[in-house]
Amino acid sequence: MKRHISITLIALLFLGLFYIYPGFKTPIQAQGQPGEQKITVLSPRGQPPPIQLKQMAPRLDSLNRKTVYLVNDGYLGTDILLGEMQAWFKANMPEVTTIYKMKGGMGGFTAEDPALWAEIKEKADAVIMGMGH
Amino acid sequence: MAAVVGHCINIESKLGVPTVPLIISEFYEQVKTHHTIQKGMPGLRVTYLVSPVWGKKAEQIRKDIVSKSPVSGKMVMQEIVENLTKPLTAEEKKTGTIEQSSGPATFTDTPDNLQRIFLENRMTDYMPIILPTEEKVAEMLKGTSHDPDEVVGKMAAHTAMPGENNVEVFEHWSYTVKTVAINAVMAGAKPEYLPVILAIASTGKEAISVSDNSFTEGLIINGPIRDEIGLNYGIGALGPFSQANSTIGRAWNLLSINAGNCGRVGTTYMGVIGNPMNWNDVIIAENEEDSPWQPFHVRRGFKPSDSVVTLCEGWGILSAKNSKYSVWEREMNFSGTLKKIVNDQDMLFGAMAVLSPPVANYIKEEGFETVEELEKFLAPPMEGRSGPPKAKIPFGFRPQINIVVTGGSNNNYWSYGGMAPRQSVLIDNWR
Repeated sequence: MKRHISITLIALLFLGLFYIYPGFKTPIQAQGQPGEQKITVLSPRGQPPPIQLKQMAPRLDSLNRKTVYLVNDGYLGTDILLGEMQAWFKANMPEVTTIYKMKGGMGGFTAEDPALWAEIKEKADAVIMGMGH
Repeated sequence: MAAVVGHCINIESKLGVPTVPLIISEFYEQVKTHHTIQKGMPGLRVTYLVSPVWGKKAEQIRKDIVSKSPVSGKMVMQEIVENLTKPLTAEEKKTGTIEQSSGPATFTDTPDNLQRIFLENRMTDYMPIILPTEEKVAEMLKGTSHDPDEVVGKMAAHTAMPGENNVEVFEHWSYTVKTVAINAVMAGAKPEYLPVILAIASTGKEAISVSDNSFTEGLIINGPIRDEIGLNYGIGALGPFSQANSTIGRAWNLLSINAGNCGRVGTTYMGVIGNPMNWNDVIIAENEEDSPWQPFHVRRGFKPSDSVVTLCEGWGILSAKNSKYSVWEREMNFSGTLKKIVNDQDMLFGAMAVLSPPVANYIKEEGFETVEELEKFLAPPMEGRSGPPKAKIPFGFRPQINIVVTGGSNNNYWSYGGMAPRQSVLIDNWR
């Protein structure tokens, strides 16, 4: 019995020392209780660029007798999609001329194709481009 | 997807031709709340389609384009015609400049609340951070001689920069030496790691790619810096067994999240499955001392005494024991096994073999005096590989094989994967 009491007293003494030891955060303190000291920290974020709003192109009065370029950006299945759209125009709006183009350039989807852009500027009235996957 | 938006905005604004980008409906939020705004054309008239398009037969797509768009509820082809012909609204005609802010420069609260604020504002990797007080950041900045206000670079969730060759996919945020130091503190890095982290940051390469492929990034670190900062290139080299290995990749990730606006699911992160290697990236300090060949950076033109970090990207690295070609035999033919595995890799990122020193030394004894000789032997033929013969190489990449030596000498293991090395940067410039 005496031995049990001694062990209990030692354990309580140990716990008491543990909790008053400076720098040791009690579970209560760790939950951010009132009185916990506030500190100031720095933002880790970078600087986003300003946004320059760009001019949208004027819309067409109608597609009647206009040339629409169907441009494939290179994603799988886009050839089938644009081919079906071309067929739809032919069946439903035969007065619209459609031209299918594959965007070139080295670098995949993001690659510029200056030759195609020049052709579009010269010959296209409108562009449909896919496929954002 | 963002590339289509970028091209269409350029066609509208530069060529004066109306466009309709076609995008699957899963990207509606990303396009509407991010891309069109960031690229300066919030009114871009997108037509959204039912996903997926890839893999469907013509008959299915024929039905889809005369069905309702999942976003607008209008018949797809009808909406396309309307998008090209309906006059622009006053809102759509707006021009000008919108300044952006990334929020307050400082935060003041209790430490626990700050941890929560950082986490809830997606300024962490969802793990606890070291709070970047002015004192800790000042201590970190002692790791470099560079001015804290020096601009280190620009970063976005996709590396494509605007220019003659590519359309910009995401906007590029800029950051200073101090911003890099703040993120390094948060990651748990030591000041002596800062030159490595700054060298990585100077490339502008993001650690967390937006791609739906769920790419991971990697680093190969060579030269005296390895021992100076305690990088582990012995047993467990690719694992979390030293502070330097564990925090440099994390610092790159945090910098990408905070200074490159990367890793925001739904806008700047779209990896379908995700990649567990994104937690810390693939960090490889080469075991130059036990390698029988020239170090990786020397083969790239640097001096042995240079400290260099090489950035890689790809699918990741896994044990060669995963391959059906890797079998235990009484007498191993490592170069033969290596060749079989390398030839079985997809060619987008080529193949990377991470050899333990014993395997590298066995291969040298098989007669490969240099890595160049080995790479020539391993070079995959263009025909007879998995996939269609003479398949078109996507994105202009070329098959390549890269050999790196690291790890312990306690057994004959090695790893492989599809990781392509890109830029190599001199760390010494950032000391």
